Amino acid sequence: MARTLCATCKTARALIIRPKNHQKLCKACFIAVFEAEIHHTITTTSLFSPGDRIAIGASGGKDSTVLASVLKTLNERYNYGLNLILLSIDEGIKGYRDDSLETVKRNAVQYDMPLKIVGYDELYGWTMDQVVEVIGKKGNCTYCGVFRRQALDRGAKMLGIKHVVTGHNADDVAETILMNLLRGDLPRLARSTSIVTGDSTSDVRRSKPLKYAYEKEIVLYAHHKKLDYFTTECLYSPEAFRGSARSLIKNLERVRPSAILDVVRSGEDMAKLVPEEVTGISQCKSQKVSLSSADGEEEGSGGCGNTNGRDSGGEMADMEKKLQLDEEASSREVDVTSLASTADGQNHDRIASKSVGRKRDTSRKLVKQTLGTCKRCGYMSSQDICKACTLLEGLNKNRPKMEIVIDVEDEESSTLRRRMEGVTLAAG
Amino acid sequence: MSAETIKATPHDGAACTRCHKADTTHHIRSDKVCQSCFVQYVTTKAIKRMETYRIRGSSYNIPRKLLLPVSFGPSSASLLHILDQHIQGQYNRMNRASYELHVVHINVYVDPVDRKDADELLAKYKSRFPKHTYSIVNLGEALHLDGIDWKALDMEQPTEADRNTDRLLKLLASMSSATSRSDIASTLLARLLVDVANRNGCTGILFGDSTTRLAERTLTETAKGRGFSLPWQVSDGASPYGVDFHYPLRDVLKKEITSFSSLATPAIDGLILLREGSSLVSASSKLTTIDDLMVQYFESVEENYPSIVANVVRTSSKLQSLPNQDTQGCGLCGLPVAKDTDGIHGWGGDQNSDSRSAMEDSHHGILCYGCSRSINS
Repeated sequence: MARTLCATCKTARALIIRPKNHQKLCKACFIAVFEAEIHHTITTTSLFSPGDRIAIGASGGKDSTVLASVLKTLNERYNYGLNLILLSIDEGIKGYRDDSLETVKRNAVQYDMPLKIVGYDELYGWTMDQVVEVIGKKGNCTYCGVFRRQALDRGAKMLGIKHVVTGHNADDVAETILMNLLRGDLPRLARSTSIVTGDSTSDVRRSKPLKYAYEKEIVLYAHHKKLDYFTTECLYSPEAFRGSARSLIKNLERVRPSAILDVVRSGEDMAKLVPEEVTGISQCKSQKVSLSSADGEEEGSGGCGNTNGRDSGGEMADMEKKLQLDEEASSREVDVTSLASTADGQNHDRIASKSVGRKRDTSRKLVKQTLGTCKRCGYMSSQDICKACTLLEGLNKNRPKMEIVIDVEDEESSTLRRRMEGVTLAAG
Repeated sequence: MSAETIKATPHDGAACTRCHKADTTHHIRSDKVCQSCFVQYVTTKAIKRMETYRIRGSSYNIPRKLLLPVSFGPSSASLLHILDQHIQGQYNRMNRASYELHVVHINVYVDPVDRKDADELLAKYKSRFPKHTYSIVNLGEALHLDGIDWKALDMEQPTEADRNTDRLLKLLASMSSATSRSDIASTLLARLLVDVANRNGCTGILFGDSTTRLAERTLTETAKGRGFSLPWQVSDGASPYGVDFHYPLRDVLKKEITSFSSLATPAIDGLILLREGSSLVSASSKLTTIDDLMVQYFESVEENYPSIVANVVRTSSKLQSLPNQDTQGCGLCGLPVAKDTDGIHGWGGDQNSDSRSAMEDSHHGILCYGCSRSINS
């Protein structure tokens, strides 16, 4: 059989079919193009400035390990002048983080980067295992995701770092776009596609340098660079919407490899089409696409979830139920007219017209979101009380046997972290 | 038969939740209803959407002419049936109608035998609904439309001598995937319909798309990189082509319209060509398209979560096209493309210019991202 030569260097034997465009490449050219694309993303979006201290959200999984490795390589190759630090979150899932945190610790040595590990128990007074005891296996991803996002911000703040990078890849972004369409969540659709969330006014900015990198290429890169990463799937199942969107993305990729990138492109374009009253963001200052990080489960989170989402339909069933109730409520007046009317046209038109007009008004009402801070913990949120605090309130109510004592002697005790430390102490 | 009919349990003793008289035979979402209430429900949903075209006040308006494309599927056949009755109702009451229909079938087949079948079937439509005018147009005619940028497609300008059919086949054959072929075919079909509407003096087009179909379209267009075009693909109202687009069945699920089509009186079964079920579509087949995947996906969502299907459409209908933008028309689909956003290159996600082929770089015509993707892959 004739050897196929690499499409780029035309000398070495092609060993890799690029998942993104099915180009046949040799190993060296694949690694080069993968790194060049991420460099391109970083430079064209002016993601970093020399001297920046950057925390890499590190889970020990493939995405964040590849991100750390590539950033180290590029930082040295192109003199970005970045000060890179690994930041890990310990959710407190027995058997899940133990091994992956060991991986992160090895990565810290391999890449010669400092490492900071922050636990959910320190931050919230709850480990994920404890949350699952109360909530059950369904629906706990919401907690994990919301807590994790704040945990990264809080960890970064502790370290005095203003910019966290995460390993979200193109598959995650595409999945989020489809998921938000399925959930009918336009505000999140508008936000989820931008490469940076937060701006100069926020305490901590987030960005995803791997936004355009395919998951399959990340795996290939990790394999060919012989990176040390930890493979496991989260023990708890993903939410139905995300699971459903994920299997759809995988099928789309099989039918047309460019589809993942095409979904991301559609998402970026659609973000501009979301009416201002929904996002609270004016197009002319679209750089401020920002309010997200504290309050949303808008992103696929590294290491969480797998493709079997179809059988855990709880979330979808709940939404279906809610939508049906809404529909019933808003169509009640229309039902009366449909009973009274006949199929002969004009008659209909007259009776239906009034009620239809009114109905459209209510269904067209758009939810406005504006950026503010949580009244309880002070983190960025579009609601009065951020999602983490709301979830915690619910959790704490369901912990009846525990006496909740909050230390009030400290003036700063209004911050969530201190409250939660109080809870932990009392519980211990 | 449709899922709706199978699920229904006739004569189970329960009376219809709407009229409380007849036995239940069908479902409207979670309600069990009788056949006549079900037919009433679907009809009302469609007629309500035709409000724009009701007779206003007492002054006499010249009826507007609207184009109704029929694919020979259950949705467009049912829509024609409903509107035919609607118009008849207006005549009966006031001896005039607020709108007229021109029915068109776009022939996507190139085989003369298939074309003869289509002619015969359209003749049946004509005899069943004789009040309207009819025409049949071959998809190949789309190639003679003004505004198709042949240079952007890397093809010669067609001459009068060219046979449309050959040319269409050549264009489609030049595409490497089934998705691209179906994408370009449906793009040409949409443009051709606008042309047919203009030629016949129609001010609007009435599409038979159900809720489910519009939800499929939302995700299909997103997956093909055509997210920018959604405001014109799923919303009622003005289109960039100068003709209004309407989707009177937008509040009716696909399974509901399929059930409805079997209940019409006089029957319209004979007018409908049922397509093969999509449940057997495999993502690994070379012939499978993104459209096929979405049909299959929403078939399963519709089964268990019909309100989520409707919610997808409600959501995508809220997207608004950007006013006052510097745009140019795409050389293939004709939709407005914002300046510097044409083609699949030169955006954040296109990072590796080395991989561009020389042919792609030689293009200077304007193609939108979606058309460019189909032409170049």
